[in-house]
Amino acid sequence: MSKFDAVIIGGGHNGLVCASYLSKKGYKTVVLEKNEKLGGLANYGSSLNGMSSKVLQELQIDLPQLTNKSYVVALDDEQQHTIIHNDGSKTSFHATNASIENQKKFIALIDKYKLYSSTLSTLMHDTPPRLKSGNSSDTWKLITMGWKVRKLGKKNMREFLRVLGLNIADELEDNLDDKNLMGLIAHEAVLGSNLGPRSPGSVLTLLYKQAIQGGLFSSEKYDFHQLIPSLEKNCLEQGVEIKNNTSVKKIITAHNKATGVLLESGDTIEGSIIISNADPKTTYFKLLGTEPLDTDFIRRAKNFRAKGNVAKFTITLDEKPIIKNIDKDMMNARFVYAPSINYIEKAFNASKYNKYEKNLCFEFQHCENTIVANVNYVPYVQNTSYDKEQLTQQCIDLLQPFIANLNITKAEFSSPNDMADKYNVSGGQWNHGEFEIDQMLMMRPFYGSAQYSTPIENLYLCGAGTHPNGSITGINGRNAAKKIIGDKK
Amino acid sequence: MSANSISYKKPLLETPFHEKTREKCYAHDWYRWAGYKAVNQYTSAELEYTSMRNTAGVIDISPMHKYSVKGKDAKKFINKLITRDITNIQPHQVVYGIWCNEDGFVIDDGTVFCFDENNYRICSGERNLNWFEDTAIGYDVKIEDVSHSIAALAFQGPLSCKILHMLNANNIEKLKPFYFDQFTINDQKITISRTGFSGDLGYELWCDPSQAHDVWDALFSFNKDYKILAAGLNALDMVRVEAGFIVVNADLIAAEHALRPNRMRTPFELGLAWMVNLDKEYFNGKKALIKQKNRGVEKKLVGLDVQGDKPAVGSVLYSKSKKEIGIVTAAMWSPSLKSNIAIGYVDKENMKLGTKILAEIYHPEELEYRKIWANCKVVKKQFFINERRNAVPAFI
Repeated sequence: MSKFDAVIIGGGHNGLVCASYLSKKGYKTVVLEKNEKLGGLANYGSSLNGMSSKVLQELQIDLPQLTNKSYVVALDDEQQHTIIHNDGSKTSFHATNASIENQKKFIALIDKYKLYSSTLSTLMHDTPPRLKSGNSSDTWKLITMGWKVRKLGKKNMREFLRVLGLNIADELEDNLDDKNLMGLIAHEAVLGSNLGPRSPGSVLTLLYKQAIQGGLFSSEKYDFHQLIPSLEKNCLEQGVEIKNNTSVKKIITAHNKATGVLLESGDTIEGSIIISNADPKTTYFKLLGTEPLDTDFIRRAKNFRAKGNVAKFTITLDEKPIIKNIDKDMMNARFVYAPSINYIEKAFNASKYNKYEKNLCFEFQHCENTIVANVNYVPYVQNTSYDKEQLTQQCIDLLQPFIANLNITKAEFSSPNDMADKYNVSGGQWNHGEFEIDQMLMMRPFYGSAQYSTPIENLYLCGAGTHPNGSITGINGRNAAKKIIGDKK
Repeated sequence: MSANSISYKKPLLETPFHEKTREKCYAHDWYRWAGYKAVNQYTSAELEYTSMRNTAGVIDISPMHKYSVKGKDAKKFINKLITRDITNIQPHQVVYGIWCNEDGFVIDDGTVFCFDENNYRICSGERNLNWFEDTAIGYDVKIEDVSHSIAALAFQGPLSCKILHMLNANNIEKLKPFYFDQFTINDQKITISRTGFSGDLGYELWCDPSQAHDVWDALFSFNKDYKILAAGLNALDMVRVEAGFIVVNADLIAAEHALRPNRMRTPFELGLAWMVNLDKEYFNGKKALIKQKNRGVEKKLVGLDVQGDKPAVGSVLYSKSKKEIGIVTAAMWSPSLKSNIAIGYVDKENMKLGTKILAEIYHPEELEYRKIWANCKVVKKQFFINERRNAVPAFI
């Protein structure tokens, strides 16, 4: 039996970030990872990369920055692709067949969203305030938030508050009339959430995502493949112990306090603080068990929505892929296929009934000979397995029109069900929980479990199910560590 | 039951005793209880009350909600649900319990019947299936609503044991309070528990709906000499106020029903502190209740001895200095005690036994009212206490 100050369940990026912060403060920390490889779902999230530069800076991690320009390509059925270019601060069109007027409107819309999302980003690096706590720092945070909104000016504030609850389809149809451009933004708004373009709140999802990632079309600021190894290296330097292939069976509690974890192997590890990087549902229902939790709390945990909709499709070709009608130097772009709002909505509609459409949306990037695609929507369905062969073929058919040399040597399809099994994540949800207005900020994951704490003393959450949400930012891990350090002072 | 189950054809269901109760219900005064037709009063509430205090009264309590709780974790589940500790519960024992939400507010009360280690039944006034099922998440237990498949009668009063004894219910007098067993009366094998709502000697009879008529007839078979009566809700309400028993959604608003957050009540506020076992490892609401115990209550449900003979129904309560301090939830002129009694909430300055307060009574008198400032004394809620209730062997 071994004893630690902090035991972190799950070696995803947030677990590692949290471990590093705690270790820096002198906590004897161990990270327990179920799989051989660290990183968890972060291995899937190349396109969600928005690793916080603040976290990297504070942990003194030197992640090589990507200098090459970033492009987003909206694939078009007629091969007249729209290419959007982002140089960090400005978005512009590199190529498109949209009218000049639409291009202008598009840029104006992006700028508007940028302004609003900067308002939302106020609280990203903070523990969200508790309402009615009577605590002055909480009140101050709420005032800051309100002030940020007010500072937009009368006209912008009104517009901001108006669009906040809207669905992205209405908002886009009011402002644009180019199907392809509308599809592109709508795709950004709904990917990874369980929303369709016509679902209320999808504007907020878009703004929030933008706030976390620091921009709508500014993909990869850092070399993604270096992220997990650098975090691991950083942890080891700080003296964190990392145990791979170590699966946790139960969190041990006594008198409403977490005291350690029981491993699948039968060993126990004692810890003064237990931090779960698992999603809230897994943490409460599988790791902790319902016994020490109140029924009202269990109800909220049960009702926390966490349905995954995105499948991962990985194919390896016999050579580097060639995309039709795209210059070679733009091959590092992110390619999105979501030709129109209705196309996305139709795919979403099927997923509501736990089915999938023949025509799905996807986005992909490639690395050498491998193409990694996110396929939207393939819903998580309990107790069902998918016909993988059929889905693989379906995805190939979807990619076929755009890739000139589709000579596949290896293809792998993982549905949300597969992700749920492999990474112990409820519903195979990327964000550990859907990303909607009632599951955000001080309400994330839900009342009684927000602010990284749990009803159980010394048990904390640091995963994507907490504020500020999913995506690969590392902020959850950082905020959780700060909260723990603050609590234990 | 088949006609009963088609509820759109028969908006109010009929209990297994309906033919019998209808016969006796001269007043045709019915009310709705959990979707069933139940009797408010048969002839006169006072008369029915008198039977319960002097001979015995029979009350059809079949509409009561009954839940079967079975499985390996049944005991663990109930221990999490209710605030009392039932670790040492024995087969054939009954425990009165209350259950709270996470804020320590009372959701409902009920009785837990233990058949064996893994088999229990919970009887409650409100519907609780959803709450029980959500509480049971993670426990190996099966919860089933058996409300419709069990017919039940309350048989309350000083002669109740005698009559059951005369019906050859073997050793019924030896049955201890809050225990139950199988008995045979009128050739019908039924379950009898020594429980009830009257504060006096009394039993509850549980049987299959098919046995209902035989059981009912048996109870009335000695009526030439003993004059027991069928009693309705109004009479039951009288005896329960005298006994100081609380009724959910009358003396308190169930936590699941309350719309206003400050209308919910904790066990401490209801004067049920003895039912809360804070030493238990875990139960719903424990954290909140520990907090309240340390902080103390702001208001409390107490008994009131009211001056005069006009019932203080719905009265607002005032301190001696005429500051508003609470409200009466139930009040009556008690024929047995010959006094004017009430149950109501008072604030923390006035909840000590013996405190003198005032009740503002608006007594209706032929389309006009008389306003009375009645002096009241805070007393224990148990107004009617009779040693018959707990005596073993029981009075025959």
